Amino acid sequence: MFLELAKRNLQRAKVRSLLAVIGILIGVMAVSAIGIFGESLKVAVLQNFEDVANELIVTPNLQEGYRYIEEMDINRIKKLPGVAEVIAVKSDSLLIETKKKKSYAVIYAMDEKNVEEMFKAEKGTIRLKGSCVVGKRLAEFAEIRVNSKIIIGGKEFRVAAILEDSGARFDINPNSAVILSPEDFEKVSDVGYTMLIVKAESLEKVDDVKREIEEKINSRENKVIVFDLKIILERINEAFSQINTFLMAIASVSLLVAGVSILNIMLMSTIERTKEIGIMRAIGAYRSTILRIFLMEALILGLIGSGIGSVLSVAGGYVIDLIILQDPSYVFRPSTLLYVIFGFCIGIFVAVVSGLYPAWKASRLEPIEALRYE
Amino acid sequence: MKVVELKNVYKIYKTEYYEVRAIDGISMDVKEGEFVIVMGPSGSGKSTLLNLIGCLDKPSEGEVLINGVDTSSLNDSKLTELRRDTIGFIFQTYNLIPTLTALENVELPMIFKRLSRKEREERAKELLRSVGLEKEMNRKPNEMSGGQQQRVAIARALANNPKILLCDEPTGNLDTKSGEQVMEIIRHQNEELGVTVILVTHNPLLAKYGDKVIRLRDGKIESVEHVS
Repeated sequence: MFLELAKRNLQRAKVRSLLAVIGILIGVMAVSAIGIFGESLKVAVLQNFEDVANELIVTPNLQEGYRYIEEMDINRIKKLPGVAEVIAVKSDSLLIETKKKKSYAVIYAMDEKNVEEMFKAEKGTIRLKGSCVVGKRLAEFAEIRVNSKIIIGGKEFRVAAILEDSGARFDINPNSAVILSPEDFEKVSDVGYTMLIVKAESLEKVDDVKREIEEKINSRENKVIVFDLKIILERINEAFSQINTFLMAIASVSLLVAGVSILNIMLMSTIERTKEIGIMRAIGAYRSTILRIFLMEALILGLIGSGIGSVLSVAGGYVIDLIILQDPSYVFRPSTLLYVIFGFCIGIFVAVVSGLYPAWKASRLEPIEALRYE
Repeated sequence: MKVVELKNVYKIYKTEYYEVRAIDGISMDVKEGEFVIVMGPSGSGKSTLLNLIGCLDKPSEGEVLINGVDTSSLNDSKLTELRRDTIGFIFQTYNLIPTLTALENVELPMIFKRLSRKEREERAKELLRSVGLEKEMNRKPNEMSGGQQQRVAIARALANNPKILLCDEPTGNLDTKSGEQVMEIIRHQNEELGVTVILVTHNPLLAKYGDKVIRLRDGKIESVEHVS
């Protein structure tokens, strides 16, 4: 019955109630839609990092006197649970000679398959049998083209491809380097393995693999150092969450305005209904009953506004994602939809808090004063 | 048994510039089942007296006892319960809730008393039937005549079986016929069900309904007349 009473009171001033609902609706929509977009953006950025996030970089512990990683240890790591793939890399700094220039550059030894997976050729095709691929910056500096010949450590190699700029990577930086097959590398250098790229089966297993490597390989002496790229992912995650919170705080100003409008219309309603409050008090309504009726009205406004606002925020988020990220599917991820629930709850909270003061004021009216009010 | 007792009651309104003694030292009592008419010119303190008895207002001085209990000793919740369970109000302007139907208006005091839906609906219907409004139950106040609205108000006042019925000019806004209907219902409550009635009016014609007529002037009792 109180619910019914509250509903009818709101219907009595339809336009006013509608305006309050619109206020809450806009506020909830702004908060949720921005939350959805922020979360979508984060997910989109993180997806770019996902292929390296499950990587661990293992390097020899130079401080302890280990220059290379032993083949025996590599085989042991390959057999550890949770390890999907191990890419063993050798690298050395050697003199390279072209027709025009002489320069020192980093030479990597890698399997052709791994190079194809990790990098893209800008010119030519990646082929490592008797030939090499050259990083973009080195190629520009030493004027190297596809099919030109370069001499590395006294041996001549044909350039099969120039690689695309790979940006800043945490494992291998081929921009100023040359990549050879392991067989060819042995002809020019006798160094051992200088780095392992260990891929875990999944992101969740990264920590386990890291611990396993440290336990098994470093059991007696600290032979290797293990660095996981997951930590970078966590930092990005953190940064985006902060940005998102900031954006939502800005959006919530509109909710604050909506709260003030509810406060306003409920205060007006309290004054208009002073006599009714007096009647109810005269026939046996407690102060708390009056408080409840008014709070119920605020709650109804909040529920309707937040409900519609939430639905519209999904539509709004969809459109923003479509325009800015060109992929609206991010909207429907559980982590994104959480912002809809969050917006809904905040909307109701604002409505009820705004209704508190008018409701309290109504409940404090003295029955006789209220009855005399015309 | 005295259901209402006033002991040297004052109600004084003070402002910066003047003082109004709305009730100026009244002592009186009303016995169970009595029908008391309070008369007097405008500003004589009739309504103030009724509001004090109905626990809507507090005296500046003196004691108001309902069923032997000093109302000044009760907190707001207890006073609310007293109004809800022991006292029924009938006002000159009906004071129905405009958004509620006749039936819902009558149910309201029972909702405040937390009666079950079934219980209160049955009782509200029975009360509306007893005041001759079985066909108007689902109408809202603005769809009814003044007389009908006042009968709804009476039904509401009787909802929780009050011991005391306080009527403030109940026929003041009604035509003669409707006024008589209303007075008959009130008399019925008094005579058949033993409800104590205190009725405030300007209208000398209503004096015939009372056992006792109290005349007020300037906040004081001018005379008490027993009607045989």
